[in-house]
Amino acid sequence: MEAEQKNEEAKIEEPIASNDSTNVDISVQQSVDVRLEGLTKVFLDSTKKETKAVWDFNVVIPAGKLIGLLGPSGCGKSTTLYMIAGLHNPTGGKIFFGEEEVTHTPPEKRGIGLVFQNYALYPHLTVRENIMFPLENMRPRMEKEKMKALAQEMAELVHIGDLMDRKPGQLSGGQQQRVAIARALVKKPKVLLLDEPLSNLDARLRLQTREEIRRIQKETGITTIFVTHDQEEAMSISDQIVVMNYGVEQQMDEPQKVYEEPANLFVAKFLGNPPINVIDGVVENGELKLINGQVIDEIDVPDQEVSIGIRPEFFTLDENLKLDVYIEMVEHIGRDTMALCKIDGYENSVRAIIPSYKKLEANQNIKIGFRRYFVFNRETGERLK
Amino acid sequence: MLEYKNDIWKALLALAPTLLLMAVFTFYPMINTVFSAFMEGYCYGVWRDNGNTIGWLSHYGETIMQSSYDAEGNLIGFTETYVGIGFGNFVTIFKDPTFIDALKNTAIMVIVSVPVTVIIGLLISVALNGIKKLQSVFQTIYFLPYVTNTIALGLVFAVLFSSRNGLINSFIESLGGNRVAWITPFAGKNPSYFTCLFVLMVYTVWNGLAFKILVFLSGMQSIDKQYYQAAQIDSTPRWRVFTKITVPLLSPMIAYITITSFIGAFKAYSSVIAIFNGNYGPRSNPNMLITVVGYTYDKLGKMSNVNELGRACASALVLFAIIMAITVVELWVSKKKVHY
Repeated sequence: MEAEQKNEEAKIEEPIASNDSTNVDISVQQSVDVRLEGLTKVFLDSTKKETKAVWDFNVVIPAGKLIGLLGPSGCGKSTTLYMIAGLHNPTGGKIFFGEEEVTHTPPEKRGIGLVFQNYALYPHLTVRENIMFPLENMRPRMEKEKMKALAQEMAELVHIGDLMDRKPGQLSGGQQQRVAIARALVKKPKVLLLDEPLSNLDARLRLQTREEIRRIQKETGITTIFVTHDQEEAMSISDQIVVMNYGVEQQMDEPQKVYEEPANLFVAKFLGNPPINVIDGVVENGELKLINGQVIDEIDVPDQEVSIGIRPEFFTLDENLKLDVYIEMVEHIGRDTMALCKIDGYENSVRAIIPSYKKLEANQNIKIGFRRYFVFNRETGERLK
Repeated sequence: MLEYKNDIWKALLALAPTLLLMAVFTFYPMINTVFSAFMEGYCYGVWRDNGNTIGWLSHYGETIMQSSYDAEGNLIGFTETYVGIGFGNFVTIFKDPTFIDALKNTAIMVIVSVPVTVIIGLLISVALNGIKKLQSVFQTIYFLPYVTNTIALGLVFAVLFSSRNGLINSFIESLGGNRVAWITPFAGKNPSYFTCLFVLMVYTVWNGLAFKILVFLSGMQSIDKQYYQAAQIDSTPRWRVFTKITVPLLSPMIAYITITSFIGAFKAYSSVIAIFNGNYGPRSNPNMLITVVGYTYDKLGKMSNVNELGRACASALVLFAIIMAITVVELWVSKKKVHY
């Protein structure tokens, strides 16, 4: 074995500083991109009713990137992850790791690491034994000392090096999460998959752990796909996010772009907290009108009924003061002020976030403007502007 | 949880019928057993005729000893229901070769049947857990012995292993072998200790599987599937999945089953009776596979003199002590090995 290794090293002609057996390299073998082509999963229930969990999913996840699969519960994101892992068989479509098709490769041959939502740490084994578990299955057999060293190295990477002799039950949620990541990474997988990695953690730990995941991913450079329903989580650490709904990909882009330029009404509604304000409108002869008849802009869109989306922070008191609103309520939330405003002719109020230095008071009529707005087809939800 | 102090009376009231029955039929006999074991010549009652005691009664009402009188008509011999306290009954039974045989037989049955049933039960459960189709059918098949009468099953086994026309012998013959004198004599050969024990063990193991499979299977089904998925992703070989994941996660069930199996096996009696048609062995040696419980019953039923009841109690106490000791050891071991 060692002779072979040396040969290879000679071939690539790279000077290697030290090569003792306990020197462990934490970087992955090679990171690959993950390509899904028309991936489809249809579940049949006992009454032969079809449920399209994932439908014609096409996506290329670039090598070495951290990608968040984002969507509401039941949108097929976990199913997609499990298909990439090989635990679910796709009904149609193909999965590629790099150039290699793995659609029908059993999970154990795919070279993936999977962190389960509830971590699935073996409760009867210590942290060290848990992390060593994948190594012990490797053939040819690895030396015990080397396994221990690798496990320790991985544990150091996720900052749990001093907890090696504990049982999972004696660890906090965040620590268990790290053990699970270490166990997934120790065998140097090509792809790391995380299923709702932060959902079992409390708010503070969540913030910390997501940065930790980002750091680990950066340090190892492994292609990482994680599934979440929490937009903040996905947006904060992902290189790109894929928004899914009803098994169909809605949009894939960098997080900020998805937020700034949503592809459709679903994405616009799904991202953003407080949520985007959606009001009905209509386009007539190149004019965008509210349902009270007020023209708010000229628009190069065929006549149709539309939904107008305005994010709370798009409202302004400085320019373009077009909307007559009645302020129902004002909430001061530190830096900003949130105002609940009623537009004439609409039943639901809209939320506006205004910097706090603009003194607003409730129960008065004012004029308000907006910097931007989105226009969607009211039926299809397709973005028009 | 009791919410108010007053509830204790309600609770007691609810428990009273059970407690009363248990007091009469369980606690009192248990305590009395301990006393009786240490009494020499324990006697249940006195049979009087015209004011004169003429004999003592056994538990079953038969006269077990005629009294004798001295010249003045006073009773000689036992004047009380027992004559002394001591370890006499224990000394006697340990000197009784039948009791030693019973101990030996019981020990062999325990040592053979417990590990075999637990291991086979575990393997069958794993196999059952692995199949999706017909699982409930197989589950029912394996559970049938549990709901069937022991004696009836014993008769079936006696027929199966019958030397002359039993299914097993016919099968052996069809394979070109010779008929075996399993539990009945054949061709002038009496059944050996080994063949009798073999039949008994096959019966005991098969009969005991049902409950074990039930417990193991429900235990396995409560193990989180994700452990297995995690193991699969780490390309864990099947055998390792079994030894490193299933068995440890099932260890509370395994411990429970092992302890109850030990207790059950030590109490072996009806299985022997069922196979040998009311005896403890083949006709050539009716006490061949006598067990401790069998010995105890014999002493109770075939009382021929005053001391037999005490000896039955002593042998019951010996069995109790053995079971107790083994259970304590098992609990102690399971504390170290079981992952709750």
